[in-house]
Amino acid sequence: MAHALTAVTRWLTEPVPRGRVAAFRTVVYLFIAGDLLFFTPWVRTHADVPGELYQPLLIGRLLPLPTPTSTLVHGVFWVLLGLTLAAATGRAPRALGWPVFLLYFEWMIIAMSYGKVDHDRFAFLVALAVLPTVGRARHGDGTLTESGGWALRVTQIAVVCTYFLAAWSKLRFGGPGWMTGSVLARAIIRRGTEFADTIATVPGLLIGAQIGIMTFELLSPLVFVLRGRWRLAAIGGFYGFHAVTIATITISFAPHMAAMTSFLPLERIRPIAWARTVLHRGARAVAAADHGAAPAGPDARRAEAQRAGGP
Amino acid sequence: MDTLTTPGRAVRVLVTLVGGLLLLAGTVWGSDDHFPFGPFRMYAGVNPPDEPAPDTRVEGVDTTGAIVALTQRNTGIRRAEIEGQQGRYESDPGLLREVADAYTERNPGAPGLVEVRIVIRYWGIRDSRPTGTYTDETVVRWRTP
Repeated sequence: MAHALTAVTRWLTEPVPRGRVAAFRTVVYLFIAGDLLFFTPWVRTHADVPGELYQPLLIGRLLPLPTPTSTLVHGVFWVLLGLTLAAATGRAPRALGWPVFLLYFEWMIIAMSYGKVDHDRFAFLVALAVLPTVGRARHGDGTLTESGGWALRVTQIAVVCTYFLAAWSKLRFGGPGWMTGSVLARAIIRRGTEFADTIATVPGLLIGAQIGIMTFELLSPLVFVLRGRWRLAAIGGFYGFHAVTIATITISFAPHMAAMTSFLPLERIRPIAWARTVLHRGARAVAAADHGAAPAGPDARRAEAQRAGGP
Repeated sequence: MDTLTTPGRAVRVLVTLVGGLLLLAGTVWGSDDHFPFGPFRMYAGVNPPDEPAPDTRVEGVDTTGAIVALTQRNTGIRRAEIEGQQGRYESDPGLLREVADAYTERNPGAPGLVEVRIVIRYWGIRDSRPTGTYTDETVVRWRTP
């Protein structure tokens, strides 16, 4: 028993390079800016919705959070946008990370309290809640960190829970008949693309897809058994699943996909370092070219000095 | 390597356990109200193979008599939010006035609405595939007194 507990604890806190945490932070905090502006801009439109249509969730009633007003919605929007861009730099990970988490959580409560709750960002909220616990992490730093390992691991667990427990919910609310029902036909009618309309006519295809979705979701925890390239390939498969849902029923799960980068060796992706190297090389090449074109020998140097007004 | 202290490690394991149990409880017994620990019930409902698919829309009639499609873009209210509160609108049609007010708030120059209605288009489905046929039903209507 003690041995198993030690093994689980070791797995939960398996160290990762600090550079990976730094890169994940940048991805997550930049995603919030993208989410505010592009992915779910409709949250901001709740500023104009009368308070009578606000149906606070349990968390909103418990705390209790105020009914959103135009000032509150626009205030949270601008403060969150500013703080998250600052947090994306990796500076002050706690002083910026905690307010960003709390404000984004409030933003989500504003989003989900008008009659519809989305299920695409549990893992993203977990990432926001745990990232401030890691402390400083610089891009490119290879030092291993256990606290960083825990933050990434629980985000990964939340990603997998989103799939596995979604299958559980389908069995709870729909039963096994969900697989042979018409849920995909319904989704395609309500929000399908032309591509989806085309494939919807193929006999048996949608039922096959439903069985496939259930199987994939139930088996998703196996990603933790896989290692190295196999695990990366499985994560590629997860992203592929979302690419298909975007192409057919226009459901993006964008925040979930951002959280899923916790599975990737993000420390190897260094766009700023690469840009610096390219610029540096470019500057060196220009300097070398200038040097090569410069006049050589004493006569030439004398001529250059005379042109410049010298002796 | 940055190693965790024993208390630091214990707190993290405990937080993971509590969070996991809350999520599991939400999945087994919870509802959307328990966000963020509610069940992941997107597209988890029972839809038999031949059940028509409801495609809800909200329409308004303005002072000129024109029919205006009321969407998230011009009211700030998502279709799924209308569907989520459909029971409230049906028991109190006067609540649709709030939708008209939201439209006016976002479109101050546009003619006002004298009527708002929720219409459901039921699309036919057979053997889990769309048939392309439909029927419309107005489920709730509000008119200016």
